[in-house]
Formats: sequence, structure tokens, C-alpha cells
Amino acid sequence: MTMRLSAPSYIFPIAIILAACCGCHPIEEFDNDPEGNFETLWRTVDEHYCFFSEKEIDWNTIHDRYRPLINDGMTSRELFLVCADMLEELRDGHTNLSSGFATSYYRKWWSDYPQNFDARLIQQYYFNFHYTQIGAWMYGILPQNVGYIRIPTFSSGLGHGNIDAVLSDLRTCLGLIIDVRDNGGGNLSNVQTLVEHFITNTADVGYMIHKTGPGHGDFSEAYPINYEPAGANHVTWQKPVVILTNRSTFSAANHFVAVMSGLSGVTIAGATTGGGSGMPYSSELPCGWSVRMSAVSMLDADGNPTESGISPDQGCAVDLDPVDALNGVDTMLEFAIRKIIDELEN
Amino acid sequence: MASNICFKALTVVLTAVSFMGKAYTQTPVPSLRPVTATYSIETGSSHLADTYLSPIKYSGWSAAFSYERWQAMKFSPEKWVMRLSVRAELDRAVNPAKNSAIWNAGMRGSWSMMRRYRLPVERLTAGIGPMTDLHFGCMYLPRNGNNPAQAHAAFTVGIAAFLTYGLHIGRLPVTIGYQPSLPLVGAFFVPEYGELYYEISLGNHPNSVHAAWPASYRAIYNLITSDLHLGSTTLRLGYRFDLISSQANHITSRHITHMAVIGIGGEWLSVAQRRPLTDTSRIISAYY
Repeated sequence: MTMRLSAPSYIFPIAIILAACCGCHPIEEFDNDPEGNFETLWRTVDEHYCFFSEKEIDWNTIHDRYRPLINDGMTSRELFLVCADMLEELRDGHTNLSSGFATSYYRKWWSDYPQNFDARLIQQYYFNFHYTQIGAWMYGILPQNVGYIRIPTFSSGLGHGNIDAVLSDLRTCLGLIIDVRDNGGGNLSNVQTLVEHFITNTADVGYMIHKTGPGHGDFSEAYPINYEPAGANHVTWQKPVVILTNRSTFSAANHFVAVMSGLSGVTIAGATTGGGSGMPYSSELPCGWSVRMSAVSMLDADGNPTESGISPDQGCAVDLDPVDALNGVDTMLEFAIRKIIDELEN
Repeated sequence: MASNICFKALTVVLTAVSFMGKAYTQTPVPSLRPVTATYSIETGSSHLADTYLSPIKYSGWSAAFSYERWQAMKFSPEKWVMRLSVRAELDRAVNPAKNSAIWNAGMRGSWSMMRRYRLPVERLTAGIGPMTDLHFGCMYLPRNGNNPAQAHAAFTVGIAAFLTYGLHIGRLPVTIGYQPSLPLVGAFFVPEYGELYYEISLGNHPNSVHAAWPASYRAIYNLITSDLHLGSTTLRLGYRFDLISSQANHITSRHITHMAVIGIGGEWLSVAQRRPLTDTSRIISAYY
């Protein structure tokens, strides 16, 4: 018996051949040598970093400045130092290069400023070590009947029930001081959980902008971020709040300050925060080193960038006086206490 | 007179109805369509890349469990067969520096309906027809902070085919088979270039669904098998080569696997009590 093959029978093998010819979509790869790793790093930053324009950085010029420093005979550590120096040009605390022997880190965003914080000062002279610890948080009631919560990080957070317990313990206080000095950030979801206890209606708390392509100007529309109140079954704090900040208030903590500054009854006091509003994106080099950099820009509720930090409210800029500290006094905390009392008296 | 006419008309109608009933009951014996089912485990090499996670290509191992079911179609069992295949896979691949690993887990289900042709060569059968394919999964790169994972999802239609040849090795009947499948058009998911899943979780997912066609989404699935018929059971030994490559939003992704296949299967026939198997029953196998 013979049978004529139909047209699809011919088309299919041709389609297979065509597909095989086309193959995979290309992915450009660099060699695992000093030049290849340098070029991969430069290009990854070139295509993903989100603050070139805001910081007026000419990344091509930086390439031309650092490329001559690369040669085939250099060691891994020498290559690392050149690459780390190049990344420092971004002036960004969210940018790191990590190898098996070191992690690069831009420190000037905080090292050029006074630290303005000493945890022991508060633990010892204000609470005599009798404070409550819950997770990473510490809290207690100051002698002036002002509540105090210290949040050293947002990497670990508390659930709504835990926050209810803390705020309930402080419910008789005149006001609340939330100390986020030296808080280097963490998870935005932990920020959201906390902020939801300070709002009674849906709040527009900021915007996000992400890259839509490798070009320096390829950005998305600003997408609004909304927080919902914790709800009737949870404690909502509606008394005066002072947020204490210093230059090491960074990243998610910077976002927390940006969000809280937009709420009524909240005062930002202390020193300008460290910024870090770019959410980091991670990538890697052929040699296995990992790199991360700011790739998604977060704006405040007014659409303003906060990468360079958030200033305290007018008249609320204050530094920690070292002489006061020697006498067991936290100048910034005293200012915050006074601010709450004055607000209630006025 | 009128009643006589009515009586004759009624007689004609009843006679016609009775012939219709007879014609119905004398329909040829229904074809019996056994299900050819195979359960396989697969293991081999995997090559993963996704520029959302890393510009580096990763290589490692892949393992999968697959189920395949063939059956002749009811409306034309001699000419048309259907194939259902479901596959769950797990991959782990490392970068060239071997200090980072990507995990990939995915599921794929496809259904195809193929026109069968008995080719001029004896015991050689071919089939071709349309196919639908649903594929979804996730790559996970733990070392990444805010972009540690990339979801994959695609629904495509395309062409599936098969070619089988029956032979004997000694006294052992063996069926050699080749099953290529080629998704052609559909839709697939890719986040925007620098968009984090955190933002997607907030509800912002613009430009994340793309038309799949050979310029943006290329895939080909190949399965070569030898089915050794050991009595009523079939031992399947085979090789699978799958390739999926996509490009959208300046993100390129690929997943290539080479797998050794070992499986067990057989033909299952369910016979209803009201229509028992008889000497005249025709058994139409879909694959063998």
C-alpha cells in the first residue's frame, strides 16, 4: 500500500530544521580573565544602575579612566581593588562587589558625618538596663512618661500582634519616640507592617520606578505604593510621634522615615538620613564574584527622590553632644522628649 | 375511507421506525481503543541561563518524572490519535566558578491530536497534528538579594509529530519511536527588565505578558524511545532533548536539557460489561 504524504508532513521537518538553525537567543558572555570580568562589571552597572542622571555620573568616562588599569598579568586582588574603586565612583551604599576574600563597600555616606548615636547611653542612663526586648526591638517608658522604641534593623520584623503588644504597653504615654538611628535597613514589608499601625486610612506613601531597558533613560512610570491601616482589630497609635534619625539611618529605614514624614502628628528629628533609596539588584561576574547595585528608585509621597537622605523637620536638626554623652545625656533623645511635651503643652 | 388511509400511514411510519432501530443495532462492532500509558523517570544534564538573574550560563543536572498517555480518538480511531503528556522537572546548575547554584522547578503539560499515516515501509507509522502546551516554573538563585527568582509561564500551540517503527531483536518485539514537538505561537510571562517581584506583588505588572512566536519564544521537545515489549509490560529506554529559549523586555532566558529516559508502561483496555469483548472486536492501538 502506498500513500501520499500531506503538506504538513513536509512542513514539520522543515520547521524543525528552521528552529534548530535559529537556536537559542544569544547571551553575550565575556571571558573569565581580568578584562572580561572588568567589562562584565562595567556593563552590568551600565545597564542596571538607576542613579546616573541624579548623581551626574558619566559612566563612559569612568570606564575610560579605569580600563587602562586592567591587564592580563594582574592578580585577583589587584583586579578587585580596581573594580572596587570604580564602583566607589557611584557614591552608593547599596553598591558592593563581593569576592571570596573581600566585599567592597562605599562608606563615605556615613563616615564623613558624626555618628550621633550610642546605644549603651540609652540602655544604661535612661533605662538602667530595665527595658523590654522583643525581637530586635527594645522599648520602655521614659521618666517623662514618653514611650521609647528602638528599632535597630528592619531585616527582622514584628507581626501585627507583637506590635499591638508593644503599643498597648505604651498606651498611657504622652507620645512616642521611635529611634531608627543606626538602622541600616532591611525588608520593606517590615516597614509596611509597622507603618500600618500609624494610619487610619489608605495612605499613598511613595512611588517606585524601575528600569525598562539597558539605556540610562529607560525608566518606567512611577508606580504608587499604598499602605492600608492595620485595621480595627489592631492598635493604632494616634498620639504625637517623633522619629529620631542619624546618617546611618539607611535603605528601608530611610524609606520608613520618608513614609512617616508624610503622616500628621509625626516629627522627624536628629540628623539627615543616609539615603539609600535604590532597591538593590544582584548580578555576577564570570569569575563568580557577585555585584549588587541600586536598580529601582523609590520616591517619597510627593514624588521626590530620597537617595541623598531625608532632612529633619525645620528646627529639628540636632546632633549628639559628646560632652552631654559623657554625662549620660543623649542630646537628641532629650530634644525628642522636649518636642513631644512642647507639642502637648501648645 | 379516512380511517383506512390513517391505518396505512401508521403502518408505514412504524415500519420505517422499526428499520431505523434495526439499522442502529446493526452498527459495526465498536472499536476498542486501549490506552498506552508510560511512566518515566529522566535524568541528565541541564543548561540554564536567565539574564534577569545573571549574565552567566549555568550547567548541572536535571531530573524529571513524566507521564505519557496515548489513545486512538473516538471519532476516527484508525486515523487520529491523541497524546497527553505531563512532566515535572527539577534542575540544579552551577556557574563556571562553581560558587553559585540555580535551582529550577517546573511543570509541563501538553495535549496533541495527530493524524496517523501508515507509511510505505512496513511497520513504519507516522503522525502529525496540532498541539497545546502549558509550561510553568521558577528559577531560584539564592545568592541574589532582591531578584533571587524568576518565574516562567507559557501557553503555546504548535505542532507535534511521531514516528514509530516496529521490529524484533531476537524474539523480543521492540518499538522505536521519535516524538518531536514544536510550540509555535502563544503567550508567555516575563517581568519588565529591572522590575522586582516585590513591585509585582504590589500589583504593578505592566508588559509582563508577551506574544510567543519564533522570534520571541523558541522551543523544541524531542523524545527518542525504544519500547521493549516484555509480555504485557513495556520497558521504555530513551533520550530526551528539550530546548526553551525566550527573549522579551531585554531579558533572555534559556533552558536546555539532555536526559536519559527509563520508564515502564503498557496498554490498558477497559471493557464495559454491557459491551463485552467479542471475536469481532477491533482493537486499535494508538502508538504501537
